[in-house]
Amino acid sequence: MSIRAELKYKIMKDYGAPALMVLQDFKRRKPRPIPEAFGPPLESNKRLKEILSRHYFLSRYTPGVKKVAWVTSGAPVELLRAFDFYTIYPENHSALVGAKKQGADYCGIAEGSGFSQDLCSYARIDLGHMLSGKTPAGKLPKPDLLFCSNNICQTVLYWYKAIAHELNIPLIHFDAPFVTTEQTEADINYMAQQLQDMIPILERVSGRIFYLNIFEDILKRSMETSKTWGAILDAMKAQPAPMTIFDAFGHLAPIVSLRGLPVAQDYYHFLMDEIDTRVTQGIGAISDERYRLIWDNIAIWYKVRFLATFFAERKMNFVTATYTNAWAETTGYLDVKNPWTSMAKTYGQIILNNNLKHRLDLMKKMIKTYSVDGMVMHSTRSCKPYSVGQFDLRKTITADLDLPAVILDADIADERVWSEQQIHTRLEAFCETLEGSKHG
Amino acid sequence: MLRFSKHETTFNEITKNMNISIPDRSEYLKTLAQSGQKIMGVLPALYPRELLWAFDIHATEIWDPPGEILHANAHLQTTICPIVKKSLEFILKEPDIINAGYLFPHTCDSLQNLGTQVKDLIGVSLPVYTFYNPKGSFNKMTTKYYRDILQNYQLTLETIYGPLNPEKLLAACVLSHKIDSYLLAIQQARMTDHLAMNNLDYFKLMRAQEYLLPSDYLSLLEQVDILDQPSESPRARLMVSGILPPTSEILRFLDELGVGIVADDLLAGSRRIPKFPMDTPVSPLDYLTDRFFVLPPCSTRGGDLDERLHHLSKLMDASQAQGMLFDMIKFCEPELFDHRLLVKTLREKNIPVLTLETELDSHISGQDKTRIEAFTEILFEMASA
Ligand code: SF4
Ligand code: SF4
Repeated sequence: MSIRAELKYKIMKDYGAPALMVLQDFKRRKPRPIPEAFGPPLESNKRLKEILSRHYFLSRYTPGVKKVAWVTSGAPVELLRAFDFYTIYPENHSALVGAKKQGADYCGIAEGSGFSQDLCSYARIDLGHMLSGKTPAGKLPKPDLLFCSNNICQTVLYWYKAIAHELNIPLIHFDAPFVTTEQTEADINYMAQQLQDMIPILERVSGRIFYLNIFEDILKRSMETSKTWGAILDAMKAQPAPMTIFDAFGHLAPIVSLRGLPVAQDYYHFLMDEIDTRVTQGIGAISDERYRLIWDNIAIWYKVRFLATFFAERKMNFVTATYTNAWAETTGYLDVKNPWTSMAKTYGQIILNNNLKHRLDLMKKMIKTYSVDGMVMHSTRSCKPYSVGQFDLRKTITADLDLPAVILDADIADERVWSEQQIHTRLEAFCETLEGSKHG
Repeated sequence: MLRFSKHETTFNEITKNMNISIPDRSEYLKTLAQSGQKIMGVLPALYPRELLWAFDIHATEIWDPPGEILHANAHLQTTICPIVKKSLEFILKEPDIINAGYLFPHTCDSLQNLGTQVKDLIGVSLPVYTFYNPKGSFNKMTTKYYRDILQNYQLTLETIYGPLNPEKLLAACVLSHKIDSYLLAIQQARMTDHLAMNNLDYFKLMRAQEYLLPSDYLSLLEQVDILDQPSESPRARLMVSGILPPTSEILRFLDELGVGIVADDLLAGSRRIPKFPMDTPVSPLDYLTDRFFVLPPCSTRGGDLDERLHHLSKLMDASQAQGMLFDMIKFCEPELFDHRLLVKTLREKNIPVLTLETELDSHISGQDKTRIEAFTEILFEMASA
């Protein structure tokens, strides 16, 4: 660790980052007008932006101070926190690129270098970033370590292997067997053992020693943070719902990428307070909530605003989503007294690593408990584990619950896949059915 | 066990030089099912076939069943690979030849989801099984886990078919070992021109293991003539990489051009055969575990890329292949990710590379034909230089 680098990091943390926030605030002086269809915006939005900007900003001062790890969204990051890695989430970064409608540009760089257009766009954007250094976050540090788990998809393993090879850095892979009926003892032991076997490698890469008590504290914090996130999502059962799922897509970022850190824990307490107040005062995210919807699959990042407005104008609010729920669903398994096996249960059973019967039951439960009137499924070209099976999920849910549903063919971050005409036609037809079903 | 020579099936003569015939797949399986044989449909790619054999279950593999994709389109997006779609189309027909259920080995995201989709959402009248193949780099812990998976799978089968006869499992492993030994020898002969067989016939022979009873397949392999002296070398030597061998049309076209596929890195080919000869099995579970870990590197297992590059380079050297044909199945993520690095590395070594994309159509497009011709011209020039 270099003293100069550390000093610079400290200065940037204490003075540079706050100065950046002031500057951003200044730039933001003229906020965009909020369409009438929406209720008052969340105060927490500003705080969220600050946290994320600060995280990306500080990351560029980490070389020589902290080791940087690129991590997948479903990986058991708590273990890395025990070694004080500075974590960057390429999936988050790709979503950010997608939201800025720059996905096609980054994908193009990866494609130009030989990666197929048929690969997941999160991966292509990240590879495009790796090959060009481009990022809307200013600058990102190169990783010292890659940490992935195939509990969300096998794709991340292939993708991280490609980076590891290109950058010649170590890759730690957490193999999470897919749960076809239920986890077996062998599955749990296998995963628990893998986690413990990672310690010497992490010690070597980070140059730090593993302390169980520190790890346990991180685990506790992570559990508590996920619980708060779960409570925030639970509060969306209120009618009107205090936020839309499109808000939640944004507020999800800290639970994904800062999980286990005090900043995430504090943030969700702040958000929870605001949500509670809105529920008590009956403040809704849209001004006149008449229909309540469920969203399935990852967001269409480059069309979030469009979709939010489209539905809000029709008095329709998304109150729940399988996607946002993923970071709250299995944390109940975490147990500080049995860290390894409980992490195996928590991380091994997340929605994308679980069978479709589980997903069907979960969706049915969400539809009932959130008083949902209709379902929108995003069938994304990028993501096989999220999308394969959706046609039959829709068929079964529609038949069993008599619920109007629509499937939108699009992509998470590659805006070239969007077909305006087709989506409009489908959405209009869906809204008509929904309105008819509620009033008919 | 039945021998195919007793079946009234259509036999296609596969080579002029050898007097070997391979029974037609659907005729053969129909006859087998009518004889009361238990038959399980197995999706790609890696599974402990020996365990099924020990329960007297014949594993017939479903990779690219013929016929149009119609009903599967109502269940799967357009961006799903044709193997998954064709397999589902086949399953939806509930064919009589499959009577013991379906097995979905864990190969990729699409097949992983297809397994649960068929089992939990679509529903078929037969049982659906799954088999997890560990991913990533392997060590002792993975070995232990794989053994546990095998044992659990055995227990699952025992709940339906009764206790396993350990002798039968050992016999199945011995049979499997013999088949592997023959295949290794045949591959070796192919690489060194000691096999007088064209591309089309060679891959017919390789793929016959997907549906023949192991004993029948073994007797077929026993008939293959490995020459003492090398035969005439093809005009150009090619290696092929991908999931399935190129379509029959392409193989035929290469045969016409005088290009020999002398080595392969195919999931339906050499990636399922141990890298080197194994010792004769003594303890079945040890043997099956060891066998999984001595298979060549494969994109679907998510192994180390350097190891894969090294393996390919060894195969190219041993077979003196002059170029590489990547026959990529549309939307196959595991292959597409590795593909870029493999191409880049080969090009850096000045090895000509051709990449074709297939949706498993039986015809070959004019454009692909032209590209193959242009590519083979380069190989011919290299051969004559
Ligand atoms: S979008 Fe899907 S395929 Fe891509 S990284 Fe996420 S889970 Fe994996
Ligand atoms: S071709 Fe590729 S994507 Fe399709 S089933 Fe095989 S491994 Fe999976």
